[in-house]
Amino acid sequence: MKRVTINPITRLEGHGKIEIFLDEEGNVANAYFQVPELRGFEQFCVGRRAEEMPVITNRICGVCPEAHHMAAVKALDRLFAVEPPAAAKKIRELLYMAFFVTDHTTHFYALGGPDFIVGPDAPPAERNILGVIRKVGLDVGKRVIECRARNHRVIQMLGGRQIHPVAGLPGGWSKSVSEEERREIEEIARQNIEFALFSLGVFEAIVLQNPEYVEMVRSDVYHDATYSMGTVDGHNRLNLFDGEIRVVDPDGGELVKYDPSDYTAHIAERVEPWTYLKFPYLKQVGWKGFRGGKDSGVYSATPLSRLNVCDGLATPRAQEQFEKFQEAFGSAKAGGRYRPVHHRLATHWARLIELLYAAEHMLELATDPEITSPHVRNLPVTCVGRGVGSVEAPRGTLTHDYSAGPDGILTKVNLIVGTTNNHAAIAMSIRKAAEKLIRAGRVVEEGLLNRIEMAFRLYDPCLSCATHALPGEMPLVVNINNHSGEQIRSFRREG
Amino acid sequence: MDTIVIGLGNPVLADDRVGLEIAHCLEERLRGRSDVGVTQIFCGGMNLMEAMAGHERAIIVDAMTGGGGSPGTVYALGPGALLHSRNTCSSHDASLSVALELGALAGLRLPRDVRIWAVEADDVSTFSENLTPHVRHAVPLVVEDVVRHLESTE
Repeated sequence: MKRVTINPITRLEGHGKIEIFLDEEGNVANAYFQVPELRGFEQFCVGRRAEEMPVITNRICGVCPEAHHMAAVKALDRLFAVEPPAAAKKIRELLYMAFFVTDHTTHFYALGGPDFIVGPDAPPAERNILGVIRKVGLDVGKRVIECRARNHRVIQMLGGRQIHPVAGLPGGWSKSVSEEERREIEEIARQNIEFALFSLGVFEAIVLQNPEYVEMVRSDVYHDATYSMGTVDGHNRLNLFDGEIRVVDPDGGELVKYDPSDYTAHIAERVEPWTYLKFPYLKQVGWKGFRGGKDSGVYSATPLSRLNVCDGLATPRAQEQFEKFQEAFGSAKAGGRYRPVHHRLATHWARLIELLYAAEHMLELATDPEITSPHVRNLPVTCVGRGVGSVEAPRGTLTHDYSAGPDGILTKVNLIVGTTNNHAAIAMSIRKAAEKLIRAGRVVEEGLLNRIEMAFRLYDPCLSCATHALPGEMPLVVNINNHSGEQIRSFRREG
Repeated sequence: MDTIVIGLGNPVLADDRVGLEIAHCLEERLRGRSDVGVTQIFCGGMNLMEAMAGHERAIIVDAMTGGGGSPGTVYALGPGALLHSRNTCSSHDASLSVALELGALAGLRLPRDVRIWAVEADDVSTFSENLTPHVRHAVPLVVEDVVRHLESTE
């Protein structure tokens, strides 16, 4: 049996490796996705005052601290049984939309987009944002930097600190928004909409107008039909910040819709001997192994999954793009909603539609008369023992679950981070891509390995959150061994 | 010279927080110096480049692993060594070198003088807000070193 190792995975937060085992004919016998894990974060939190959690959990990871901050404050609202004033909820969501714009922008231009914009077979040293600039023009680099800067400013204005907000409190928010700040944010939201439309235009011109890329997106290599998970509002429209968790089957039928605090009734975790990772699955369907289909409890929680579970988007231009997206894949309507799209590379497109939605919703919130209300906090007076908070993190549904005594001291903490939801689906996508791409007698070259990497990069997995590990330098080592374990090729590149 | 001092690291991961602690001490020591700012960030790559933008000089303090020295060893490094400390890269967006090139291409004013002080860590895999003893002892040494450097190049 031959072994192909991709280790660690390039351009991903944290570090991991892919092990691909070939049989004697040179076909893929099996593929595994492994990451080391630092354990004990939850235990580190036990014994602390619950109200510290919004600041502590946003330090788990330098990539999406805003998501942890928001899930934590929402969990505290429930733990202390206090309903924040309407203005506080809107300020939280306004900050969150600015964060989503930043995060999705960064992923598209720096991490996922280069595979398309620069090309999947381009040398690794060029498959980065500099390569994007060379292809699209210097202006795009300036636009990305300006987008990040203006939204970091919003996060700092509203959250008290750039990147790592500190303003969330149980029952609300620590500061209100002045009219001057509101005007500035409104202008930033308008610029974000323009930028999102520009980004969708880039995607259209470079991917959708290129028959080779369209074929790649639609190919069986990147197709996995699983259940989809995401948060929806009361009208079953996409909601990134609040609502109920909806799960639909691979054909689009609703399996269940539940309050985030009921997650333990619907989600169980599978442990495998070959990895520290846990694999959440749908209890109601059951674990049937790493496979898709209606009888397998594997689900995905990604931008694509979120489009799959919702009936539509609540903002006009994002809704237009959603319909265009569905039509491009020929997704028929069933029961008043589009059937799910399972072409995993379409996740990049879905991410850009969410970028537009976040920008449009940001404008709605910035022009909401209530956003400048001075009433931004209700004081908590009791601790009810348990609180669960949930948001859609860019990489999937993020859940914080805290238990505490009457004194508010934490007795138990459980976090299910966005990437964790997708562990089984990521493993399946890697195996599928490897099986389709590596065939007997075919030499495993750099470009081919990148096409396998693309199968998990589309999930934008944040392994530092999922494993509580922290990133360092990210070299990529690829070893290919023949069936007797002898190394026959070795690749190395810097990450 | 307009200077930004940037502490890098994870505040809840034992020795990985050493850069943040040094930055905190430097903030106290340098209070009153209008030409020197101090900041702390938890993620490298584009965030680090953006924190450096607009300043003539940047001083980065970070933890390091695999530097070859025993825990607590202090390395004063030039810009070529930037990639070798723990937190200067973000694999989520870009390496620092790519981020710096991007910033330069996009017209940001980036420091011409970049130096890094890195401390060899002992433990970067335990959730803790405490440094291990050898690393803790290195904190005042780095603080003095950076202050002396700033004074000698004022």
